[in-house]
Order: sequence, then structure tokens, then C-alpha cells
Amino acid sequence: MTLLSPILIVPAAAALLCLVVPWRRMMEGLNIVAFAVSLGLGVGLLHAVQAPPCVVTECGEFFRADALSAWMVLLITVVSLGTSLYAGRYFRRDLAAGAVSAWQVKEFFVLTPLFTAGMLLVVLANNMGVMWFALEATALSSVLLVALYNRNTSLEAAWKYVILGSLGLALALFGTVFTYAAAVDKNSTNLPSFNWSHLMAMAGQLDPRMIKLAFVFVLVGYGTKAGLAPMHTWLPDAHSEAPSPTSAMLSGVSLKVALYALLRFHILTTACLGSPFSRHMLLAFGLGSMFLAAPFILVQTNLKRLLAYSSLEHVGLICVGVGLNSPVTIFGALLHMGYHALTKPVLFFAAGNIHQTCHTLQMRLMGSGLVKVLPLTALCMGLAAVSAMGLPPFGLFFSEMTVLSGGFASGHTFVSTLVLMALLAAFCGILYQLTRILAGSPKVTRQTDARAFDGVPAMGFMLGTLAVFSVWLPAPLLGLMERAGHIIGGAQ
Amino acid sequence: MHPIQSELATQWITLLAAGMLVIQLLMVVQGMLLTNIRLFALQSLMLAAIAAIIAYFHNATHVYWVAGLTLVGKVFFLPWLLNRIVRRIQIHQEIEPLLNSTASMLLCGAFTLLGYVVARPFTSLEQLGNNTLGIAITLLLTGFFLMFNRRKAITQVLALLTVENGVMLAAVALTTYGMPLVVELGIFFDVLVAVMVLGILVYRIRETFASMDVDKLSQLKG
Repeated sequence: MTLLSPILIVPAAAALLCLVVPWRRMMEGLNIVAFAVSLGLGVGLLHAVQAPPCVVTECGEFFRADALSAWMVLLITVVSLGTSLYAGRYFRRDLAAGAVSAWQVKEFFVLTPLFTAGMLLVVLANNMGVMWFALEATALSSVLLVALYNRNTSLEAAWKYVILGSLGLALALFGTVFTYAAAVDKNSTNLPSFNWSHLMAMAGQLDPRMIKLAFVFVLVGYGTKAGLAPMHTWLPDAHSEAPSPTSAMLSGVSLKVALYALLRFHILTTACLGSPFSRHMLLAFGLGSMFLAAPFILVQTNLKRLLAYSSLEHVGLICVGVGLNSPVTIFGALLHMGYHALTKPVLFFAAGNIHQTCHTLQMRLMGSGLVKVLPLTALCMGLAAVSAMGLPPFGLFFSEMTVLSGGFASGHTFVSTLVLMALLAAFCGILYQLTRILAGSPKVTRQTDARAFDGVPAMGFMLGTLAVFSVWLPAPLLGLMERAGHIIGGAQ
Repeated sequence: MHPIQSELATQWITLLAAGMLVIQLLMVVQGMLLTNIRLFALQSLMLAAIAAIIAYFHNATHVYWVAGLTLVGKVFFLPWLLNRIVRRIQIHQEIEPLLNSTASMLLCGAFTLLGYVVARPFTSLEQLGNNTLGIAITLLLTGFFLMFNRRKAITQVLALLTVENGVMLAAVALTTYGMPLVVELGIFFDVLVAVMVLGILVYRIRETFASMDVDKLSQLKG
């Protein structure tokens, strides 16, 4: 059965249909159905990549999925589905408040499936050039989403995002070209292959100096898109100015898709050089991001910027997990990707509800006692925040513990201690900031919101999934992650 | 291929690549916006010529496609589009750089040196031309500099496009035949869409801020 092309075609077709459909309800429905179908196909892929030969290829190896790609497909589709569940109600309220026009809502429902399709192409492409232009396509579709509100701040955020993103992608293209050049065989006139499967097979024959240079370019390039410090400056701006559903997608999966691209190059570089060169770089950038994020979380005044910096910290931890390179830490990093993808959207959805009720994102102006004003939203946000801080019973606790214990066990005491310190700082920051706005009694009198259930289905869906998978990982999923861990670890 | 022919192709490619670098340096010192757009078109024309020479001497049909696309897209369409945007929003022609032209020129000299130093270990890998990789890296560095030095939205788009030209030069210099057609096509359309998206943003920024100065985009901090 063909699986890979339908996964891509379904969201792309939904985008085209939304372009011609005049009714908003129908666009919402189309989005939801498309992502639900993709998620179903993703689950099918989950089973398909576990059967030998553990790789699914299509269209003459143009598309290729192994366990790592299948894992990413699941994350992308689940976050997109949650977002589409939330977006309908969110924009209905925005339309009622006159914050957006019908045309802008249409723009959202057309661009979001395109954004998702782009991300899916990144993880399913076998060709690293195709992977590059798919990433560029995600950047271009999301930049218009960031600018959706057309405020002067959102234009500023969009401009920074597109300029920094394009510069990063230009660097990544240099890296891609260098990798391609490393595969050129001088004695033959055949065009070298751009395919990952082919490059991995001939990893030992690639020119090591060229691969090293390529990895540096790719790290800075895709690292910009993944929001690694110090190339992260677009990230808090774009996340805070985008509509909340888009912020959820950017933070929940888009960062990790860029990270996935970086990981593919890391795998190739390690296979070629046989040295810890690339993982040391990942480790350094990961730690740097974690330490940069912590103080910004502590002093942040804007709710969505706070969440954005928290994402920066989590992406840093994922990089550290891969950089430590023991099977346990890599498994922890993959687990962390998944749990973070389920947690962060809930926080952004709740922030969206708060934004629409309080008409501000400044936590000082919100005041305390949101639990009285928006009880259900505050409850969901509180639960998701408990998860984001890394407290049990939620999954991020287990994944952080896995990375830390793996780090200590493999003898990286110093690095693991640093990670622990950064995690503690972020923990204090989020706890301090969010209790200030959620708990207590309201000082500012606000009209109690009649539609208290807005966004609750979406938040409930994500939180429910998170809660289930936090305590119970089904065997196929566990097997998938172990296999993906082997792929990253070089399958020694 | 005949050795003399190969020698001729190498010389032409080296000459044209050097021409691209010279044009990049002219863009650094040139203050008029419309002239800058024309210079970019000329630079792209040289890139297209390099691709055409490769296609001719190596009998590689798909590289003709690359040359044709560069010609249509980067020499005619994008400069026309940028010209239209500039005329439509009637901005000042003169661009005020942060650094004056003498300092910029010196700095770009240093960038060129740096580009050659970085490329030096890899000269043995170059398939075509001499030092083309060095020129490609220099185009990247000076493109970055252009972006920081000129604080206007349109010039940042132009700087981005010159970096893109640098990548394409690296691709043809290092790999004889350039990249597979599907990748070239993908990159080509991405660049076109990117410039259109940037154009949309420039219009909106112009409407909202009544200016194209990116220095005005400074409300988001921390």
C-alpha cells in the first residue's frame, strides 16, 4: 500500500480546497479532516517502518521513511490536528472582535495545511535538496501566518523571521552543496546522488574536510531555523506576534523539523568522520540555548515570549540529549521531542484564550487570578505548565530524567550538572511567572466570559494524549523510538 | 572533452566569476537603489553565462535549463519586480549606509581575503574555473555585510539574492554539472516565492510605518 504520497497529498489538497471554498465552517472542517487522515496514515506508517526492511520508499526512492521520519510524521500531524481543532473557535472570536477580516481567516486556513505539507515533505524526502526547499517552503508559508494580524509589531516580527530565516537557509544551502560536492567522484561522469540513502551508503568515501565544512554551515543554517542560540533572536518575536494557533505549530513542531534536518547531517557527518566533531557542536549549542533561555524566562513580562523562551530551552535539551550520544540520552531526547510537542501547544492555546479575554499579553496588565476569570483555560494551562516545568506525572519529567540519568551514567558529570542547573532555573522562572497570573483573586474586574469552553476540546485532546502517553507507551511506539534512536546513534 | 576546449572553458568561467565579485563590490559602494537592482541583474546574467558555458562544453542539456531559468527569473523577472516595487512606493533613491564607502570597500577587501583563505584547502576539489569557491564564499560574506550596512527593506532583499547567486556559483564550481534538475527547479521557485513574500511584507511595512527603514522595526525586545 502506498502511504507516503497520500500523507503529503491530503494536506496539500485541503489547502487547495480551502482556497475555493467560501464558507469558514467548511474550511475549518476540511483542515480537521485532512490532519486527522494524515494522522491515521502516520499511524499506518508507524507500523510499516517496523516490518523489515524497516524503510518505506516510494516514487523511485524519491520519498523515503525510516523510523525517525515516521516519528516526526506523528508529531507533525498530531500538533496540526490539535491546532485545527483550536483554530476554528479562536478565529470566530477574533472575527467577532473585529481583529481579523474574513479574508485573513481564509489565509490562515489555506496556509496552515501548506505549512504542514511542507514539514511533512521535509521529513519524507530522500533528497537533501528537496529537504532544503521544503524547509524554505515552510518558512515562507509561516511568515505570512506570523504577519497575519498586520499590526506593526507583527510585521516587524515577520520581517525579522523571514530575513534571518532566509539567511540561515542560504547558509544551509551552502552546506547542502558542499555535502553534494563531497560525493563527487572525479573519475566518473555520473552525477553524484543527492539521496540520503545513497550518501549514507558511501559515507566512508566522502571527503572528510568538505563534510566538516558542510556541517558547520548546516549547523548555523538549520540551527537558525531550529532557534538555537545565538541565532534565536527571531524566535520570541515570531512566536509572540503570530496568532496563537500558529505559535503552537511553530513551537510545537516547526522547530523540531529544522532540528530533524540538522540531525540528518549530524548522522552523515558522524558516519563519515567517525569522530565526535558534530555531536560536540550540538552539545555546545544545546547547552548555550538552555543557559540563554533561563534568565529570559525569569525576567520575562510577555506571556507568549515566556513560552517561546521555554521552547528554546527544550530544543536546547533535545540537542544536548543527542550530543551526549549514549543510547539512553538519545532515547530521552526523542521522548522529549514528543512530549514537548504535546505540551507546548496547550500553553499557546491557553495564552490565546487569555489574550482574547484580557486584550493584552503583558502579564503585569493581566494581573492575578485568571483562575477565577477563565477557570477551564487556567486549569489546562496549569496542567500544561506543570508538564513544561518537568514535574511528574507528565512525560517531560521522565524524558528529562532519562537524559540526565543517561548523561550521568555515561560519565558526562559536568555537562549533566550544567543541564540540571539550567532546568532548575527555567523551572523556577515558569513557576514564578505563571503562579503570579493564574493564582489569587482578580484585581482588575473583567466581564466573565460566557464562552468558557472555547478551546477546551483542543486543549483536552492534547492534554489527554499527553497524559495517556506519559504513563503508557504502546509497544509499537516504543519500538519506533528505539529504532529512531539507533539511526541517530549511528546504529553501531 | 578536448584539453584546449577545457582550458578555454575554465578561463571563461574564472573571468565571469571574477566579474560577479567585481559587481558585488560595486553594489557595496553604489548608493542608488535602481542602479543596485541593475547591477544585480548584470551579476545574474554572468551566472547564467557560466551555466551556459558549462552546458555547451560538457553537452549537459539540463544545465541549459538552469541557465535559461536564471536568465528569465533573475535577470529579467526579479529586477523588473523590484523596480516596480521601488517605483510604486516612491522611496528615496539614495540609500544611507551605516559605514561610508571607503570603510566598506576596505572591509570587503578583508572579506575577499577571508573567502580565499577558507576556500584554500578545497581548491583541489574545484571542478571548474580557478578559485570559484573562494568567490562564492566572498559573495556570501559581502552579501551579509550588505544586509547589515543598508538599513532598507529592499536592499536587504537584494543582499539576500546576491547570497543566493553565491550558492549557485558554488554549486556549479564544485560539481561540474550543477545539481539535479529537480533541486534546481525547487530552489528557483523558492527564490521567486520568497521575493514575492518579501514584496508583500515591504508593501505592508511601507503602509504601516510610512517608511522602509528597518531601523524603525525595533519595538520587540527581550
